[in-house]
Amino acid sequence: MSDLRQAAIVGVYMTEQGGLQDRTTGSLYAEAVNGALEDAGLKAHDIDGIIGAGPEGAGIVGDFTDAFGPPLRFHAQTGVGASSSSAGMGIAAMAIAHGYADVVIVPTASGGAVHPNAPRRGGGPGGNPFEYIWGTTRASDYALAARRHMHDYGTTSEHLAEVAVAARKHATLNPASVMGARGEITIEDVVNSRVIADPLHLFDCCLVNNGGGAIVMTSLERARDLRKTPVVMLGWGQGFTFYDPMSAPTLTSFGGVMAANTAFGEAGVRREDIDVAGISDHFSIDVIIELEDAGFCAKGEGGPFVEGGALQIGGRLPTNTDGGYLSGSHGAACGLYTVTELVRQLRGEAADHQVPNVELAYAHGTGGAFQGQYSAIFARG
Amino acid sequence: MTQYNKPLPEITLLNEPFWEGTKAHKLLLQRCDDCPTYRFTPKDVCQDCASVNATWTPVSGAGTVYSYSVVHRGPGPAFQEDAPYIVVMVDLAEGPRILSHMTGCEPDDMQIGMPVTVVFEDVTPEITLYKFRPA
Repeated sequence: MSDLRQAAIVGVYMTEQGGLQDRTTGSLYAEAVNGALEDAGLKAHDIDGIIGAGPEGAGIVGDFTDAFGPPLRFHAQTGVGASSSSAGMGIAAMAIAHGYADVVIVPTASGGAVHPNAPRRGGGPGGNPFEYIWGTTRASDYALAARRHMHDYGTTSEHLAEVAVAARKHATLNPASVMGARGEITIEDVVNSRVIADPLHLFDCCLVNNGGGAIVMTSLERARDLRKTPVVMLGWGQGFTFYDPMSAPTLTSFGGVMAANTAFGEAGVRREDIDVAGISDHFSIDVIIELEDAGFCAKGEGGPFVEGGALQIGGRLPTNTDGGYLSGSHGAACGLYTVTELVRQLRGEAADHQVPNVELAYAHGTGGAFQGQYSAIFARG
Repeated sequence: MTQYNKPLPEITLLNEPFWEGTKAHKLLLQRCDDCPTYRFTPKDVCQDCASVNATWTPVSGAGTVYSYSVVHRGPGPAFQEDAPYIVVMVDLAEGPRILSHMTGCEPDDMQIGMPVTVVFEDVTPEITLYKFRPA
């Protein structure tokens, strides 16, 4: 199981994030790939593997090879929604360890017009007729989980708000974030923001924006000769416990339990040793549930766990230190940005949002409405 | 009846008997032929015993609220006209969980665990939807 550690993240890059109606997806994609290669000190012709989807509507391998030239001998992707690219990094590491690829690029991008009917926050209808006939949204999907969590465990709107307040605080420290310039928000601001899908308020819901990013991975051996401090994955795991929300055993615990147990088991580290976390915050409730499922606290204690600014830099477990999806960016396969931030934290490159003395970082990605889950633990190589 | 302007369910080979049931104001679910488990949404295989055999069977329409959300921001203008509306997840007496709308209940009166029962709403000559009201 130590195969993962034979591969390293050697380059990261994020484009500007925001409305970007004037940027094509392809231009963001190309900028991201070139930027990550530059960060690593590698060239496009070094790439021989790719993870994740290409620009929407384009054949992934064909589009990439046409644009960048190199023949590819490895391609894979996972089904973890917005975290599919980052979840696929575990597969990339195994491919590199076993010689199926030397240099793997993990790109994502989204640009141009946003669907005219898409709400600014909260998402659109899903594809299941037994859901979309009821006018459900991503916000209402997560609201059902939040409402049940409140009922079973006494979680409050103020607990949910703690997640959003920490994310915004971090965004104000990160000039690349979408919402940082708007300034900090308070718990009262969150609970008094308008209701989107009760009990979720506007500030409990992620952004809907455009942007791009890319991560480059290669062998740890090769990484030693490259520009930046390599970052390795000590553990990685996935968990899929349902597809149809009506078939989910509960709406308060999901595949994150399995994903985190696998990742921590492989890494051989303890929850309390994690210095910084990046946890999917499509909606504030997601972070509370995933903290519980990952074992940072007992089931039902996620609300009290996040109280008092615990997720802020300087708190018990600094989380989403770039602003997360709530206030940083939620464009394209944004799970990639979560990992990018953790890499920067481990390199000591996070500037004003740097957490002191980071040795171990935890990433968790949620896809869809809790269907797909992955966890990973990172350290310097 | 005013024209129904929201998305209608896509009728498939798998779910057609369900919609024939609602048209007759009956809630029909697949019941496994090889174990006591009901299925919803319609599925080709039993989640408990993996059997592919099932029979469409009338159920009581009684259940309790598992969770709910009062939706203020709908996905598009047709739903937005109705907002706020109550999306509800009901645990049916026979076991399956079913997503629907609450009707005849104010948002403030909603409670997890409250007993509910199915009602039918003929929204077009072809399609009848199922909703829940307080029992």
